[in-house]
Amino acid sequence: MLRQDIKQRKEWQKKAAEFGFKFHTMHGETYWDESAFYQFSLNQIENDLEQPTEEIHQMCLEVVNQVVHDEEWLTKFKLPPNQWEFIRDSWLNGDPSLYSRLDFAYDGKNPAKLYENNADTPTSIYETGFWQWLWLQDNVDGGKLNRGADQFNSLQEKLVNRFFDLQVLTPNRTLHFACCKDTEEDRGTVQYLEDCANAAGVNCKFVYVEDIGVDKNGNFTDLDNQVITWMFKLYPWEFMMAEEYGQFLGTNNIRWIEPPWKAVLSNKALMPALWKMFPDHPNLLPSFFEDELNKAANFSSLVKKPLFSREGANISIINGGKEKTESDGPYGDEGFIYQATHFLPKFSDNYTLIGSWLVDDTAAGISIREDKSPVTQDMSRFLPHIILG
Amino acid sequence: MKRTKIIDLSAMRKIKPSYLVKPITLAVAAAMLSACGGGNSQEVTFVKSVDDCVSNTDFTLAQCEVAYEKALEEAEKTGPKYKSMASCESEFGPQQCLTDRSGSFFMPFMAGFIVNQLLFDRSRNYYGGSYNPVYRYNRPYSRYHDTLMLSDGTSIGKYGKNKFKVSKSATSPKPKITKTVSRGGFGSVASAKSSWGGGKSSSSKGWGG
Repeated sequence: MLRQDIKQRKEWQKKAAEFGFKFHTMHGETYWDESAFYQFSLNQIENDLEQPTEEIHQMCLEVVNQVVHDEEWLTKFKLPPNQWEFIRDSWLNGDPSLYSRLDFAYDGKNPAKLYENNADTPTSIYETGFWQWLWLQDNVDGGKLNRGADQFNSLQEKLVNRFFDLQVLTPNRTLHFACCKDTEEDRGTVQYLEDCANAAGVNCKFVYVEDIGVDKNGNFTDLDNQVITWMFKLYPWEFMMAEEYGQFLGTNNIRWIEPPWKAVLSNKALMPALWKMFPDHPNLLPSFFEDELNKAANFSSLVKKPLFSREGANISIINGGKEKTESDGPYGDEGFIYQATHFLPKFSDNYTLIGSWLVDDTAAGISIREDKSPVTQDMSRFLPHIILG
Repeated sequence: MKRTKIIDLSAMRKIKPSYLVKPITLAVAAAMLSACGGGNSQEVTFVKSVDDCVSNTDFTLAQCEVAYEKALEEAEKTGPKYKSMASCESEFGPQQCLTDRSGSFFMPFMAGFIVNQLLFDRSRNYYGGSYNPVYRYNRPYSRYHDTLMLSDGTSIGKYGKNKFKVSKSATSPKPKITKTVSRGGFGSVASAKSSWGGGKSSSSKGWGG
């Protein structure tokens, strides 16, 4: 695993505009960064990332199976009791999942360590599935990269195939895509998934989360008053369950992507639950609930993370009992978990995080985020990668 | 190869350069999707009965029976309805109408239904469309005399053939429309968190992670 500098493609910004990639630069700061790339060996990809990704996913499913059947666990996960049945039913039904992203700290030598599972509303999928694919293609075509260079990225192909399967499982329904207003990044992400669904022949429509309505029978509706029967929402389950229309969840006939049982996995309580069920697994970091802190006495340093949080918000580090805030944010009301401190590896001056994607239960590629700070946040830069050797 | 084999770039472009002609619907050239081509029309087969369906399409007997039942259901829901038997018969001919299930309307017998065989995946026994009922219009001297038409009055061609070109929407399922009594019951948590002045300073970043 190496970080290598490379010349940026001439006028790539123009190309980005052509393909509708609008958020490559935000607030004057680089988000898509092609001044460098990471190089992996096939062995690193297959043994250190692909295989553990699929294995951890299976372990996560075992956690879901344990949690949905046990009120004590559901309580530990701070899932709202009025939604337990909704979550459990979706699991027992086998409601299919589309995708998720596991975040790893990996340095190319030691086992990748799982930071968290973005199982409900993972983003940066367009940059991963399409834009970095195009970057490789252009650089190989332009003679800047070795012809034999590959990339761990079959995301787009797998998404299209998965949408085809989902349509078979959900026949004769229109798939409504939804995200919040005023976010270019989310709208871009949803548009990309819509393009993939369209390619699979799915009948698609779009509605903003804020525009969703309800009829007298509790059916959700779009702005054309069409009943929503199948929905992809880039909006966290824990928000939806807590909001006014949360009362209708489970009462109307809607298939959800991601399914409600993903609320168990996007929750940081997953980390101590995994550690409890699979102690000392090489890809896990020791993690604890607040009431298990006595077990963490051996660790000189712990990272404190809110149960519900997005994009690295509200993280602090505890060293010898002293807490230091690493990032601010609006989360933390529901409590925290504690993880043995394991810093991201550094390449040049950058802390590097690997996002490893799954489509259903198959590993489908990686994305790389870099930051000057050890906590990866929403403005961390996205870098492309190649496989060579 | 660990990456997507082919991506159809023309389908991924949001701004189409002028030298590019019409985009192709497919973004990924997956072989199994080769049945779905571009354009807005499709060829459908008109079938009159379950027997006709079995002998003139790739569908299995079981699938044809399902198709026939579904088309009848659809006819009940969306077929042309008349207040009197006389007005129905004046358009579809004598003894060509019946009362609907509620007993309050009159509607023409379904002459058959259309299927697009390309929407049928035999290996999965899955049909990705709807079975749209077809009626045979019969008013003497009308220019539509002996024309096959769909529930909404779209003519698909003269009676006597069994292959017709119709628009893609003719086999797509009809959405259900209702009356919305309120809106805005989702989105409040996100807006509360974004008014907090910390990390989420931008309007372009969203709620994913």
